Amino acid sequence: MEKHLRIELIIERMAHKRACRVLETAGMTGYTVLPAMAGYGNSKRWNRDTDLSASGDMVVIISIGDEEKVRPVMDEIGNLLGAHIGVVTVTEVEVLRPNRF
Amino acid sequence: MDVALSTLLSPIILFFALGMVAALLRSQMSVPEAIAKGMAIYLMMAIGLKGGVEMSKNPLTTDVLLVLLAGIILSFLIPIIAFVFLRLSTKLDRVDAAATAAHYGSISIVTFVAATEAVRLSGLDSSGHLVAVAALMETPAIITALFLASRGGGSRSQPVAGSEQGELVREVFLNASIVVLVGALAIGWIAGEEGTASVQPFFVDLFQGVLCLFLLDMGLSAGRGLRQGWRQLSFATVGFGIYMPLISSLIAAGFAFALGMPAGDAALLITLTASASYIAVPAAMRLALPEAKPSIYLTLSLGVTFPFNVTIGIPIYIYLALLITGQG
Repeated sequence: MEKHLRIELIIERMAHKRACRVLETAGMTGYTVLPAMAGYGNSKRWNRDTDLSASGDMVVIISIGDEEKVRPVMDEIGNLLGAHIGVVTVTEVEVLRPNRF
Repeated sequence: MDVALSTLLSPIILFFALGMVAALLRSQMSVPEAIAKGMAIYLMMAIGLKGGVEMSKNPLTTDVLLVLLAGIILSFLIPIIAFVFLRLSTKLDRVDAAATAAHYGSISIVTFVAATEAVRLSGLDSSGHLVAVAALMETPAIITALFLASRGGGSRSQPVAGSEQGELVREVFLNASIVVLVGALAIGWIAGEEGTASVQPFFVDLFQGVLCLFLLDMGLSAGRGLRQGWRQLSFATVGFGIYMPLISSLIAAGFAFALGMPAGDAALLITLTASASYIAVPAAMRLALPEAKPSIYLTLSLGVTFPFNVTIGIPIYIYLALLITGQG
Protein backbone atom coordinates (compact mmCIF):
# COMPACT_ATOMS: atom_id res chain seq x y z
CA MET A 1 0.00 0.00 0.00
CA GLU A 2 1.15 3.52 -0.76
CA LYS A 3 0.84 6.67 1.36
CA HIS A 4 -1.28 9.57 0.08
CA LEU A 5 -2.89 12.67 1.59
CA ARG A 6 -6.63 12.88 2.35
CA ILE A 7 -8.25 16.33 2.38
CA GLU A 8 -11.40 16.66 4.47
CA LEU A 9 -13.09 19.99 3.99
CA ILE A 10 -16.24 20.98 5.89
CA ILE A 11 -17.61 24.04 4.13
CA GLU A 12 -20.87 25.95 3.74
CA ARG A 13 -23.01 24.47 0.97
CA MET A 14 -23.18 27.73 -1.00
CA ALA A 15 -19.39 27.69 -1.45
CA HIS A 16 -18.95 23.99 -2.18
CA LYS A 17 -18.90 24.45 -5.94
CA ARG A 18 -16.00 26.89 -5.51
CA ALA A 19 -14.12 24.26 -3.50
CA CYS A 20 -14.87 21.62 -6.13
CA ARG A 21 -13.52 23.90 -8.87
CA VAL A 22 -10.32 24.37 -6.85
CA LEU A 23 -9.88 20.59 -6.61
CA GLU A 24 -10.62 20.03 -10.30
CA THR A 25 -8.28 22.84 -11.42
CA ALA A 26 -5.48 21.40 -9.29
CA GLY A 27 -5.83 18.07 -11.08
CA MET A 28 -7.23 16.02 -8.19
CA THR A 29 -8.62 12.87 -9.80
CA GLY A 30 -11.78 12.76 -7.70
CA TYR A 31 -13.72 13.98 -4.70
CA THR A 32 -16.94 13.14 -2.85
CA VAL A 33 -19.41 15.63 -1.39
CA LEU A 34 -21.47 14.53 1.64
CA PRO A 35 -24.28 16.48 3.34
CA ALA A 36 -23.77 17.47 6.98
CA MET A 37 -26.80 17.12 9.26
CA ALA A 38 -26.05 19.42 12.20
CA GLY A 39 -23.21 20.92 14.16
CA TYR A 40 -21.89 23.52 16.53
CA GLY A 41 -19.47 26.35 15.88
CA ASN A 42 -18.86 30.01 16.66
CA SER A 43 -21.01 29.65 19.83
CA LYS A 44 -24.00 28.59 17.78
CA ARG A 45 -25.72 25.28 17.03
CA TRP A 46 -26.95 24.78 13.49
CA ASN A 47 -28.95 22.12 11.69
CA ARG A 48 -30.54 21.60 8.32
CA ASP A 49 -34.08 22.24 9.63
CA THR A 50 -33.76 25.94 10.39
CA ASP A 51 -33.17 27.43 6.99
CA LEU A 52 -35.39 26.98 3.94
CA SER A 53 -32.87 28.72 1.70
CA ALA A 54 -30.36 25.99 2.68
CA SER A 55 -27.76 28.76 2.61
CA GLY A 56 -26.71 27.79 6.12
CA ASP A 57 -26.22 24.11 5.28
CA MET A 58 -22.77 22.59 5.44
CA VAL A 59 -21.22 19.84 3.32
CA VAL A 60 -18.16 17.65 3.71
CA ILE A 61 -15.81 17.25 0.74
CA ILE A 62 -13.33 14.38 0.75
CA SER A 63 -10.53 14.07 -1.77
CA ILE A 64 -7.33 12.00 -1.89
CA GLY A 65 -4.16 12.74 -3.82
CA ASP A 66 -0.39 12.70 -3.65
CA GLU A 67 1.49 15.44 -1.82
CA GLU A 68 2.52 17.18 -5.05
CA LYS A 69 -1.12 17.89 -5.89
CA VAL A 70 -2.47 18.39 -2.37
CA ARG A 71 -0.05 21.12 -1.15
CA PRO A 72 -1.01 23.72 -3.83
CA VAL A 73 -4.69 22.85 -3.25
CA MET A 74 -4.30 23.78 0.42
CA ASP A 75 -3.16 27.32 -0.49
CA GLU A 76 -6.29 27.83 -2.58
CA ILE A 77 -8.52 26.28 0.08
CA GLY A 78 -6.92 28.66 2.59
CA ASN A 79 -7.99 31.57 0.39
CA LEU A 80 -11.51 30.11 0.14
CA LEU A 81 -11.81 29.71 3.90
CA GLY A 82 -10.65 33.29 4.35
CA ALA A 83 -14.10 34.26 3.07
CA HIS A 84 -16.35 31.28 3.71
CA ILE A 85 -17.31 29.30 6.81
CA GLY A 86 -15.42 26.02 7.02
CA VAL A 87 -12.67 23.82 8.42
CA VAL A 88 -10.05 21.80 6.54
CA THR A 89 -7.81 18.95 7.66
CA VAL A 90 -5.21 16.86 5.85
CA THR A 91 -4.31 13.38 7.03
CA GLU A 92 -1.94 10.72 5.74
CA VAL A 93 -3.77 7.65 4.47
CA GLU A 94 -2.80 4.38 2.83
CA VAL A 95 -4.42 3.59 -0.49
CA LEU A 96 -4.86 0.21 -2.17
CA ARG A 97 -4.70 1.35 -5.80
CA PRO A 98 -2.29 4.35 -6.00
CA ASN A 99 -2.61 4.61 -9.78
CA ARG A 100 -6.19 5.88 -9.30
CA PHE A 101 -4.98 9.05 -7.53
CA MET B 1 -60.19 45.04 14.62
CA ASP B 2 -62.22 42.40 12.77
CA VAL B 3 -59.50 42.18 10.11
CA ALA B 4 -56.82 41.67 12.77
CA LEU B 5 -58.86 39.06 14.60
CA SER B 6 -59.85 37.08 11.48
CA THR B 7 -56.20 37.08 10.33
CA LEU B 8 -54.82 36.04 13.72
CA LEU B 9 -57.39 33.28 14.16
CA SER B 10 -57.10 31.87 10.63
CA PRO B 11 -55.80 28.27 10.49
CA ILE B 12 -52.61 29.27 8.63
CA ILE B 13 -51.55 31.72 11.36
CA LEU B 14 -52.56 29.32 14.13
CA PHE B 15 -50.48 26.55 12.52
CA PHE B 16 -47.57 28.97 12.22
CA ALA B 17 -47.94 29.81 15.94
CA LEU B 18 -48.10 26.09 16.77
CA GLY B 19 -44.82 25.48 14.92
CA MET B 20 -43.10 28.44 16.52
CA VAL B 21 -44.22 27.51 20.05
CA ALA B 22 -43.23 23.86 19.46
CA ALA B 23 -39.74 24.92 18.33
CA LEU B 24 -39.28 27.33 21.24
CA LEU B 25 -40.31 24.54 23.64
CA ARG B 26 -37.69 22.31 21.95
CA SER B 27 -40.19 19.86 20.49
CA GLN B 28 -38.64 17.22 18.23
CA MET B 29 -41.44 17.68 15.65
CA SER B 30 -40.17 18.35 12.14
CA VAL B 31 -41.37 18.34 8.55
CA PRO B 32 -39.01 16.35 6.30
CA GLU B 33 -36.68 18.73 4.43
CA ALA B 34 -37.60 17.45 0.95
CA ILE B 35 -41.33 17.87 1.67
CA ALA B 36 -40.78 21.45 2.91
CA LYS B 37 -38.86 22.33 -0.26
CA GLY B 38 -41.50 20.62 -2.42
CA MET B 39 -44.25 22.61 -0.68
CA ALA B 40 -42.36 25.87 -1.25
CA ILE B 41 -42.22 25.11 -4.99
CA TYR B 42 -45.91 24.10 -4.99
CA LEU B 43 -46.96 27.36 -3.29
CA MET B 44 -44.90 29.49 -5.67
CA MET B 45 -46.36 27.61 -8.66
CA ALA B 46 -49.91 28.02 -7.32
CA ILE B 47 -49.56 31.73 -6.60
CA GLY B 48 -47.76 32.35 -9.92
CA LEU B 49 -50.37 30.43 -11.90
CA LYS B 50 -53.24 32.25 -10.16
CA GLY B 51 -51.60 35.62 -10.83
CA GLY B 52 -51.01 34.73 -14.49
CA VAL B 53 -54.63 33.68 -14.99
CA GLU B 54 -55.85 36.92 -13.38
CA MET B 55 -53.49 38.94 -15.60
CA SER B 56 -54.76 37.16 -18.73
CA LYS B 57 -58.26 38.52 -18.02
CA ASN B 58 -57.16 42.16 -18.25
CA PRO B 59 -54.94 44.05 -20.70
CA LEU B 60 -51.58 45.34 -19.52
CA THR B 61 -52.39 49.00 -18.79
CA THR B 62 -50.15 51.93 -17.88
CA ASP B 63 -51.48 51.69 -14.31
CA VAL B 64 -50.23 48.11 -14.06
CA LEU B 65 -46.83 49.06 -15.50
CA LEU B 66 -46.56 51.90 -12.97
CA VAL B 67 -47.22 49.47 -10.09
CA LEU B 68 -44.50 47.16 -11.46
CA LEU B 69 -42.13 50.14 -11.66
CA ALA B 70 -43.07 51.19 -8.10
CA GLY B 71 -42.13 47.70 -6.88
CA ILE B 72 -38.69 47.93 -8.52
CA ILE B 73 -38.06 51.43 -7.13
CA LEU B 74 -39.09 50.32 -3.62
CA SER B 75 -36.78 47.33 -3.76
CA PHE B 76 -33.85 49.56 -4.79
CA LEU B 77 -34.73 52.23 -2.23
CA ILE B 78 -35.61 50.33 0.98
CA PRO B 79 -32.09 48.84 1.50
CA ILE B 80 -30.60 52.36 1.53
CA ILE B 81 -33.02 53.42 4.30
CA ALA B 82 -32.50 50.14 6.17
CA PHE B 83 -28.71 50.54 5.86
CA VAL B 84 -28.81 54.06 7.31
CA PHE B 85 -30.96 52.92 10.26
CA LEU B 86 -28.72 49.91 10.91
CA ARG B 87 -25.56 52.02 10.87
CA LEU B 88 -27.08 54.65 13.14
CA SER B 89 -28.87 52.42 15.62
CA THR B 90 -26.78 49.23 15.78
CA LYS B 91 -23.10 48.35 15.97
CA LEU B 92 -23.17 46.35 12.74
CA ASP B 93 -20.24 47.01 10.41
CA ARG B 94 -20.73 48.13 6.80
CA VAL B 95 -20.81 44.62 5.28
CA ASP B 96 -23.20 43.16 7.88
CA ALA B 97 -25.43 46.22 7.62
CA ALA B 98 -25.48 46.05 3.79
CA ALA B 99 -26.24 42.30 3.78
CA THR B 100 -29.04 42.77 6.35
CA ALA B 101 -30.43 45.75 4.41
CA ALA B 102 -30.66 43.58 1.27
CA HIS B 103 -33.03 41.21 3.09
CA TYR B 104 -35.35 44.10 3.95
CA GLY B 105 -35.44 45.45 0.39
CA SER B 106 -36.24 42.06 -1.06
CA ILE B 107 -39.46 40.17 -0.31
CA SER B 108 -40.79 37.11 1.46
CA ILE B 109 -43.07 35.14 -0.81
CA VAL B 110 -44.59 33.24 2.15
CA THR B 111 -45.55 36.54 3.83
CA PHE B 112 -47.08 37.55 0.49
CA VAL B 113 -49.08 34.31 0.30
CA ALA B 114 -50.28 34.75 3.91
CA ALA B 115 -51.24 38.37 3.10
CA THR B 116 -53.15 37.25 -0.01
CA GLU B 117 -55.23 34.96 2.21
CA ALA B 118 -55.73 37.70 4.81
CA VAL B 119 -56.83 40.13 2.07
CA ARG B 120 -59.30 37.54 0.80
CA LEU B 121 -60.62 36.94 4.33
CA SER B 122 -61.10 40.71 4.69
CA GLY B 123 -63.42 40.67 1.68
CA LEU B 124 -61.02 42.66 -0.51
CA ASP B 125 -60.06 41.84 -4.10
CA SER B 126 -56.47 41.75 -5.31
CA SER B 127 -55.02 41.76 -8.82
CA GLY B 128 -52.86 39.09 -10.39
CA HIS B 129 -50.10 41.48 -11.40
CA LEU B 130 -49.04 41.80 -7.75
CA VAL B 131 -47.39 38.38 -8.23
CA ALA B 132 -45.27 39.93 -11.00
CA VAL B 133 -44.45 42.79 -8.62
CA ALA B 134 -43.30 40.19 -6.06
CA ALA B 135 -40.98 38.57 -8.62
CA LEU B 136 -39.58 41.96 -9.70
CA MET B 137 -38.89 42.97 -6.08
CA GLU B 138 -36.71 39.93 -5.34
CA THR B 139 -33.40 41.14 -6.79
CA PRO B 140 -32.93 44.95 -7.01
CA ALA B 141 -32.23 45.05 -3.25
CA ILE B 142 -29.25 42.72 -3.71
CA ILE B 143 -27.70 45.13 -6.23
CA THR B 144 -28.21 48.08 -3.84
CA ALA B 145 -26.64 46.09 -0.99
CA LEU B 146 -23.56 45.20 -3.06
CA PHE B 147 -23.15 48.87 -3.93
CA LEU B 148 -23.50 49.89 -0.26
CA ALA B 149 -20.97 47.27 0.85
CA SER B 150 -18.41 48.18 -1.83
CA ARG B 151 -18.62 51.97 -1.27
CA GLY B 152 -16.60 51.87 1.91
CA GLY B 153 -14.26 49.17 0.65
CA GLY B 154 -16.00 46.75 3.00
CA SER B 155 -16.22 43.86 0.57
CA ARG B 156 -13.14 42.05 -0.75
CA SER B 157 -11.64 43.31 -4.00
CA GLN B 158 -9.96 40.01 -5.00
CA PRO B 159 -12.20 37.15 -6.13
CA VAL B 160 -12.42 34.15 -3.78
CA ALA B 161 -10.61 31.00 -4.95
CA GLY B 162 -12.80 28.83 -7.17
CA SER B 163 -15.14 31.70 -8.11
CA GLU B 164 -16.60 31.49 -11.57
CA GLN B 165 -17.75 34.34 -13.77
CA GLY B 166 -21.53 34.55 -13.79
CA GLU B 167 -22.17 32.42 -10.68
CA LEU B 168 -23.57 35.36 -8.71
CA VAL B 169 -25.69 36.55 -11.64
CA ARG B 170 -27.12 33.01 -11.93
CA GLU B 171 -27.86 32.90 -8.21
CA VAL B 172 -29.47 36.35 -8.20
CA PHE B 173 -31.54 36.17 -11.39
CA LEU B 174 -32.14 32.44 -11.78
CA ASN B 175 -32.78 31.31 -8.21
CA ALA B 176 -35.64 28.86 -7.67
CA SER B 177 -38.10 31.51 -6.41
CA ILE B 178 -37.77 33.66 -9.51
CA VAL B 179 -37.74 30.79 -12.02
CA VAL B 180 -40.84 29.12 -10.52
CA LEU B 181 -42.76 32.34 -9.83
CA VAL B 182 -42.10 34.00 -13.19
CA GLY B 183 -42.46 30.69 -15.05
CA ALA B 184 -45.83 29.86 -13.44
CA LEU B 185 -47.00 33.45 -13.97
CA ALA B 186 -46.15 33.22 -17.69
CA ILE B 187 -47.83 29.79 -17.98
CA GLY B 188 -50.99 31.11 -16.27
CA TRP B 189 -50.97 34.16 -18.54
CA ILE B 190 -50.52 32.10 -21.71
CA ALA B 191 -52.96 29.31 -20.82
CA GLY B 192 -55.63 31.54 -19.25
CA GLU B 193 -58.55 30.38 -17.10
CA GLU B 194 -59.79 27.80 -19.61
CA GLY B 195 -56.37 26.32 -20.21
CA THR B 196 -55.57 25.91 -16.52
CA ALA B 197 -59.01 24.48 -15.57
CA SER B 198 -57.67 20.91 -15.54
CA VAL B 199 -54.97 21.73 -12.93
CA GLN B 200 -57.29 23.82 -10.72
CA PRO B 201 -58.09 20.92 -8.32
CA PHE B 202 -54.38 20.55 -7.57
CA PHE B 203 -53.40 24.20 -7.39
CA VAL B 204 -56.58 25.77 -5.97
CA ASP B 205 -58.45 23.15 -3.90
CA LEU B 206 -55.37 21.84 -2.10
CA PHE B 207 -53.77 25.27 -1.64
CA GLN B 208 -55.16 26.08 1.82
CA GLY B 209 -54.19 22.72 3.30
CA VAL B 210 -50.66 22.82 1.91
CA LEU B 211 -50.28 26.40 3.13
CA CYS B 212 -51.22 25.28 6.68
CA LEU B 213 -48.61 22.52 6.59
CA PHE B 214 -46.00 24.88 5.13
CA LEU B 215 -46.69 27.56 7.75
CA LEU B 216 -46.34 24.91 10.46
CA ASP B 217 -42.87 24.16 9.06
CA MET B 218 -42.08 27.88 8.78
CA GLY B 219 -43.08 28.29 12.42
CA LEU B 220 -40.68 25.50 13.35
CA SER B 221 -37.90 27.08 11.25
CA ALA B 222 -38.50 30.57 12.66
CA GLY B 223 -38.65 29.27 16.24
CA ARG B 224 -35.48 27.17 15.89
CA GLY B 225 -33.67 30.00 14.09
CA LEU B 226 -34.58 32.39 16.89
CA ARG B 227 -33.70 29.92 19.65
CA GLN B 228 -30.31 29.16 18.12
CA GLY B 229 -29.40 32.65 16.96
CA TRP B 230 -30.88 35.14 19.41
CA ARG B 231 -27.59 35.53 21.30
CA GLN B 232 -26.04 37.03 18.15
CA LEU B 233 -28.59 39.85 18.11
CA SER B 234 -28.40 42.98 20.21
CA PHE B 235 -31.54 44.68 21.55
CA ALA B 236 -31.13 47.43 18.92
CA THR B 237 -30.87 44.86 16.09
CA VAL B 238 -34.02 43.04 17.26
CA GLY B 239 -35.76 46.44 17.45
CA PHE B 240 -34.74 47.09 13.83
CA GLY B 241 -36.41 43.80 12.80
CA ILE B 242 -39.69 45.16 14.11
CA TYR B 243 -39.62 48.88 13.29
CA MET B 244 -38.09 48.56 9.79
CA PRO B 245 -41.13 46.72 8.32
CA LEU B 246 -43.33 49.48 9.71
CA ILE B 247 -41.15 52.19 8.10
CA SER B 248 -41.19 50.27 4.81
CA SER B 249 -44.97 49.89 5.02
CA LEU B 250 -45.43 53.66 5.40
CA ILE B 251 -43.23 54.35 2.35
CA ALA B 252 -45.11 51.74 0.30
CA ALA B 253 -48.42 53.19 1.48
CA GLY B 254 -47.26 56.55 0.07
CA PHE B 255 -46.53 54.92 -3.31
CA ALA B 256 -49.90 53.07 -3.27
CA PHE B 257 -51.73 56.31 -2.44
CA ALA B 258 -49.94 58.23 -5.21
CA LEU B 259 -50.82 55.49 -7.72
CA GLY B 260 -54.45 55.32 -6.57
CA MET B 261 -54.29 51.59 -6.01
CA PRO B 262 -57.38 49.72 -4.77
CA ALA B 263 -57.26 48.58 -1.11
CA GLY B 264 -56.50 44.88 -1.77
CA ASP B 265 -53.63 45.66 -4.15
CA ALA B 266 -52.30 48.39 -1.85
CA ALA B 267 -52.31 45.95 1.10
CA LEU B 268 -50.25 43.47 -0.92
CA LEU B 269 -47.74 46.08 -2.16
CA ILE B 270 -47.35 47.33 1.43
CA THR B 271 -46.85 43.75 2.69
CA LEU B 272 -44.29 42.97 -0.02
CA THR B 273 -42.31 46.10 0.84
CA ALA B 274 -42.50 45.40 4.58
CA SER B 275 -41.48 41.75 4.24
CA ALA B 276 -37.90 40.51 4.46
CA SER B 277 -36.36 37.76 2.37
CA TYR B 278 -35.01 34.57 3.94
CA ILE B 279 -34.69 32.34 0.87
CA ALA B 280 -33.24 34.13 -2.16
CA VAL B 281 -31.16 36.84 -0.48
CA PRO B 282 -29.32 34.71 2.13
CA ALA B 283 -28.14 32.41 -0.64
CA ALA B 284 -26.97 35.33 -2.79
CA MET B 285 -25.23 36.96 0.18
CA ARG B 286 -23.21 33.81 0.91
CA LEU B 287 -21.71 34.15 -2.58
CA ALA B 288 -21.51 37.93 -2.89
CA LEU B 289 -20.68 39.00 0.67
CA PRO B 290 -19.36 35.88 2.43
CA GLU B 291 -17.83 38.06 5.17
CA ALA B 292 -21.32 39.07 6.34
CA LYS B 293 -22.62 37.00 9.26
CA PRO B 294 -25.65 34.85 8.39
CA SER B 295 -26.39 34.46 12.11
CA ILE B 296 -27.36 38.14 12.12
CA TYR B 297 -29.31 38.63 8.90
CA LEU B 298 -31.00 35.24 8.78
CA THR B 299 -32.03 35.21 12.46
CA LEU B 300 -33.37 38.74 12.10
CA SER B 301 -35.40 38.19 8.91
CA LEU B 302 -36.63 34.66 9.71
CA GLY B 303 -36.78 34.72 13.51
CA VAL B 304 -37.97 38.27 14.15
CA THR B 305 -39.45 40.03 11.10
CA PHE B 306 -41.26 37.05 9.54
CA PRO B 307 -43.23 36.13 12.72
CA PHE B 308 -43.95 39.82 13.35
CA ASN B 309 -45.28 40.33 9.81
CA VAL B 310 -47.37 37.16 9.71
CA THR B 311 -49.07 37.76 13.05
CA ILE B 312 -49.17 41.52 13.71
CA GLY B 313 -47.85 43.17 10.55
CA ILE B 314 -50.37 41.94 7.97
CA PRO B 315 -53.46 43.25 9.82
CA ILE B 316 -51.66 46.60 10.21
CA TYR B 317 -50.82 46.70 6.49
CA ILE B 318 -54.42 45.88 5.52
CA TYR B 319 -55.65 48.62 7.86
CA LEU B 320 -53.12 51.04 6.33
CA ALA B 321 -54.39 50.14 2.84
CA LEU B 322 -57.99 50.73 3.95
CA LEU B 323 -56.94 54.06 5.45
CA ILE B 324 -55.25 55.40 2.30
CA THR B 325 -58.18 54.32 0.14
CA GLY B 326 -60.66 56.07 2.44
CA GLN B 327 -62.22 52.85 3.74
CA GLY B 328 -60.55 52.79 7.15
